[in-house]
Amino acid sequence: MKEVKALVLTGFGLNCDMETAYAFELAGATAQRIHINALVNHKVDLDDFHILAFGGGFSWGDDHGAGVVQALKLKNHLGDQLLSFVEKGRLVIGICNGFQTLVNLGLLPGLDNDYRARTVALTWNDCGNFRDQWVTLKGNEESPCVFTKGMTTADMPVRHGEGKFVTDKKLLDRLIANNQVVFRYADENNAPAKGTFPMNPNGSMDDIAGICDPTGRVFGLMPHPEAYNHPTNHPDWTREKEALKRQGKSLDTGLTPGIRIFKNGVDYMASIL
Amino acid sequence: MISCIEIALKPDLFDAEAASFKKKAFDYFDIDLLDVRTINLVTLEADFNQDQLLVIKDEILTNPVTQVSSLSPLNFEFDWCIWIGLRPGVRDNPASTAVEAVEDLLKRKFQPEEGVYTSKRYAIKGDGLNREQIETLAKELLSNPIIQQWQVFAADQWNPETGAGTKPAKVLLDHEPEFAVLSIGSDQELQEISDQRNLALNPRDIPVIRAYFLDPAVRKTRAKTGLAEPTDLELEYISQARSDHCNHNTFQGVFTYLDRETGETCIESNLFKTYIKDPTLALKDQKSWVVSVLWDNAGVGRFDETNNYVITGETHNSPSNMEAYGGAITGIVGVYRDPMGTGLGSRLIMGSYGYCVGEIDYDGPLTPPLHPRRLLDGVVEGVKDGGNKSGVPTTFGQTLFNSGYMGKSLVFVTALGIMPARVKDQPSHEKATHPGDLIVMSGGRVGKDGIHGVTASSEVLSETTPAGHVQIGDPYTQKKMHDFLLAARDEGLYGFITDNGGGGLSSSVGESAMISNGCEVALEKVPLKYEGLDMWEIWISESQERMTIAVHPDNIGRFMELSAEHAVESTVIGTYTDTGKLHIRYNGKTCAYVDMDLLEKGFPDWEFDAVWTSPENRGLMEPVLGEPRDYEKLFCDMLARPNICSKEWISRQYDHEVQGGSVVKPLVGVNRNIPSDASMIRPVLDSKKGLAFSQALLPWYSRIDAFHMMTCTIDEAVRRIIAVGGTLDHMGGVDNFCWPYIGYDPIKNPDGKFKAAQLVRACRALKQACMAYGIPLLSGKDSMYVDGHLTGGYGESVKVSALPTMQFSATGVVADFTKAVTMDSKMDGDLVYVLGDTLNELGASEYYELMGTTGLKVPEVSFERFKVVYKALSKVIDQEIVASAHAVARGGLGVHLALCAMAGGLGVEIDLARVPKDSARGELRHDTLLFSESAGRFVVTIARENRETFEKLFKGMACACVGRVTNDHQSLKINGFDGNPLVDLAVATLETVWLMPFAS
Repeated sequence: MKEVKALVLTGFGLNCDMETAYAFELAGATAQRIHINALVNHKVDLDDFHILAFGGGFSWGDDHGAGVVQALKLKNHLGDQLLSFVEKGRLVIGICNGFQTLVNLGLLPGLDNDYRARTVALTWNDCGNFRDQWVTLKGNEESPCVFTKGMTTADMPVRHGEGKFVTDKKLLDRLIANNQVVFRYADENNAPAKGTFPMNPNGSMDDIAGICDPTGRVFGLMPHPEAYNHPTNHPDWTREKEALKRQGKSLDTGLTPGIRIFKNGVDYMASIL
Repeated sequence: MISCIEIALKPDLFDAEAASFKKKAFDYFDIDLLDVRTINLVTLEADFNQDQLLVIKDEILTNPVTQVSSLSPLNFEFDWCIWIGLRPGVRDNPASTAVEAVEDLLKRKFQPEEGVYTSKRYAIKGDGLNREQIETLAKELLSNPIIQQWQVFAADQWNPETGAGTKPAKVLLDHEPEFAVLSIGSDQELQEISDQRNLALNPRDIPVIRAYFLDPAVRKTRAKTGLAEPTDLELEYISQARSDHCNHNTFQGVFTYLDRETGETCIESNLFKTYIKDPTLALKDQKSWVVSVLWDNAGVGRFDETNNYVITGETHNSPSNMEAYGGAITGIVGVYRDPMGTGLGSRLIMGSYGYCVGEIDYDGPLTPPLHPRRLLDGVVEGVKDGGNKSGVPTTFGQTLFNSGYMGKSLVFVTALGIMPARVKDQPSHEKATHPGDLIVMSGGRVGKDGIHGVTASSEVLSETTPAGHVQIGDPYTQKKMHDFLLAARDEGLYGFITDNGGGGLSSSVGESAMISNGCEVALEKVPLKYEGLDMWEIWISESQERMTIAVHPDNIGRFMELSAEHAVESTVIGTYTDTGKLHIRYNGKTCAYVDMDLLEKGFPDWEFDAVWTSPENRGLMEPVLGEPRDYEKLFCDMLARPNICSKEWISRQYDHEVQGGSVVKPLVGVNRNIPSDASMIRPVLDSKKGLAFSQALLPWYSRIDAFHMMTCTIDEAVRRIIAVGGTLDHMGGVDNFCWPYIGYDPIKNPDGKFKAAQLVRACRALKQACMAYGIPLLSGKDSMYVDGHLTGGYGESVKVSALPTMQFSATGVVADFTKAVTMDSKMDGDLVYVLGDTLNELGASEYYELMGTTGLKVPEVSFERFKVVYKALSKVIDQEIVASAHAVARGGLGVHLALCAMAGGLGVEIDLARVPKDSARGELRHDTLLFSESAGRFVVTIARENRETFEKLFKGMACACVGRVTNDHQSLKINGFDGNPLVDLAVATLETVWLMPFAS
């Protein structure tokens, strides 16, 4: 298999870069953590990579809306290169602050082949506060998203103050029709949360937790797949382990649903290289 | 030109910030607001044309999907409008990022006289609201006069063209920088200087300082630089270095300790050396995992073969009491610099908090600067922003309420880091400055921040004086610096690093120059936030987010290049030398020239009288209480007590999973809402090892005896680590003392001698516990002035002192994190065990507090007996035959059985008669067994099939099977001695009651 190279952005208040790079490595890619300025100053060439990851964090302190200044900086300095990266069929994933950045860049939702327009937003949680909790996500099997192939459900943590997905009704209908809605917050039976707190932790429209562009190659989500890189990340793992033990089994240390997201992306890229 | 951009959420979107304001207005002040909208204001003082302003407004400040904005006031209807802005000089983080964004977008640098200022206004609608009510909200809820200013507009006063008329909160210091030479003709003259300048010099230090400057040999060398009598900068330097904060004079002081019971007197010549340093060094010799202790910004322990972990804990009490948010965010961001400045620098991996505040529902006559409720809100938010924006998980924390903290609340912050054991083949925990190394300051700029702490708060503030004494931490600037310095470390670009905290450059440069034995500093090179600072202010300013680094000249080019790439400001401000002199110039002119060893010149020790009177002789006794009849009501009331009930609302606001290594979270159980005993993380993602962390706080026991407060606190922290899978083989400790003032004064501090005796006893207990359990103190700090003078109902001033308090933190390195255990009961049919004897030890318990009494029999720790049990428990956890384990803590067995049941979501049946007990300290009734807080105990559940193995291992120890976990019902059923039910409460009921007090 060809080497798939992932670039994880760092700097300017971003975090999650270590575990995001680790997740890519677990998924079979080689991952490099690259400072935004290294791209801006052309010390590193984006085109040397196959997957670009906008990770979590507080870029520029998120003082003027989460991800806004990061999007501005990238648009200002790397705008065309980002567009050509997407156009070339390479993959982009935005997690939490990265998702917020993608929607401010306009790389999402990318309707009508317009990868510049800001048409959806992630705004302040209805609960009025930053919140760290695990959520259950319902996957959309019809979605073209390459990162979530075959995933009907997954648990992951959300950790944000601005994750409420907002857009106008018309656009929402198009996203739904295009199967661009990839993940929805769900209850314990994997049915959409229908806005019920805390299953839907932020008041997102239509329980939206993640969307992709029409090609499925640009993906953004509020939950953190990289924070579920080991079974022991899951809040129920000690109970799960005990239950398995009574059946003579042990904790499954295979790929977690979190890592599967990265692996789907890496496998897709490897398959077309 | 001044322009103001207003931004708000579109009217059809829910305004969560406004909703929270509305709720608090009602909950806290009973003021009913109909509707509120929040409007953000960004004031620009710069020459931008209309097009540029539109670009700034639309591209940077407005989200087209969710927000509306305008270059003139937005038209939101209101009955009242409150405007809140910062005072000049208060750190405005959003303004700084706006400047960065504008400069990048418009490719135009702001000039020194230009600036950006952010503020807010609230458009309020309501029936019959009056100005007084609105001003109350402005003053008591939305602003703090120390950092903010406010204005209130009635609808008919509002000019829709000019709006709030926001002026830039700009600092203007029309002042030429200077330094003063001070005459010290007599001790009295120096004392007067100290009083005037708030130097807080100890009277006994004054002759020593004078003798130095009057020494003919000293005068001769000083004359060469043009100096004779000391300069203000020199006296400030000495004052900082000799302060209790930097020098720990109390712990190094001489105590004359009289025990009134025995009549014996003894001299304690140095508490730090006897009870902290010596035992820690002795343990370091025994424990190969202890890497570096007692000298650096934080202690260092081995994590695995290639990585060491770093830990320290601090308090940030006084600032948090004046400005809760600012104090707390500065505290957490500040303590995060300690691991960054330990050894060659570590990467931050976790943080924790401890809040001790007054009674949450206090409605008595005393008026603290901030009501405990508001103070807690502010502190919680400060640590949230500081911790979350640092990208560091906050995995553990505790909050407690006690009236003693009305005088001064406590904000504990603890930080852990990790670093490769070797950097460029050098041990990473070692560092040194060498003559010729450049002194570099990285990170933030210097302003009047934190100069002389809160003494400045009594000064009258004008429109343009900086509110310098209270700071707002800036995690964004620090995170950039953190990432930069780690990159520089890994390239081997520097040989020494330390942080700028208390004392600023005076401490960081002063102390690091002791290693090379001298330095030359050019103060004019230090980058400033605004012009007009005097030399001494530059030298001692505590402006945050700065590190001091020693860089060899060969590396400075690369160091600066990397700094620029990371958008971090770094400046060479001088050179380390070996001249034996601290030499400071400003534009070539010497303003300080003193010997590096000046501070070792025979300053006298502080002296304290300590007199111990036993609790019996202080009149404490066991209350005369008959046995309760209604145990179910008692259970519910216990669970709803502020110090017992759920504080999930705090933990949830803190990112406790960033960095991806969460193993045991702060909240566990089926509903993920029960506080875990300890947290566990994987700081190295591909390692099998885990790092367990716990803390304990039991200040109530100091009411009886601070000795037992200390041993019980340490024992609880240890048990918490053991419960999740740690062992006594690797148990590190951090001691954070918070004590009321111990200096005796017949009028101002009449019980000073008793408080001093409590300190001595606590130190003795600390050593005893550490030696018994083998806990080296990796780090520790003390805060010795936890008192406040509050105004009472008649205008009188009332001194309120906190209970002597120890926050003890424990760390454990766990060989295999997949063996970690949580406290939730797990499977139907499992057996419930209690380990450890329960004694009649209700003294200062939560139960007695509920009954309005203190009692006498405070829990005592039997180290040798407990240790056997802890080792056995570690063993069965390692053998993976334990389904759950939980340390019994505040509230006793009753409360903690309830927590285990709630966490499991299954029924639990308990037979109280089978609980291991010891009547050595008196009769044991049902209430004693349920609520005694005897140390050394656990609740453990195991599968039935492991019964034999388990019991064999605990043979001869206090261990008994007391019941079972069941799915037959979902209730906690406790039977009394006669076999009849004492308690039969649905787990869901228990949970509801426990969640209620802070539910919203």
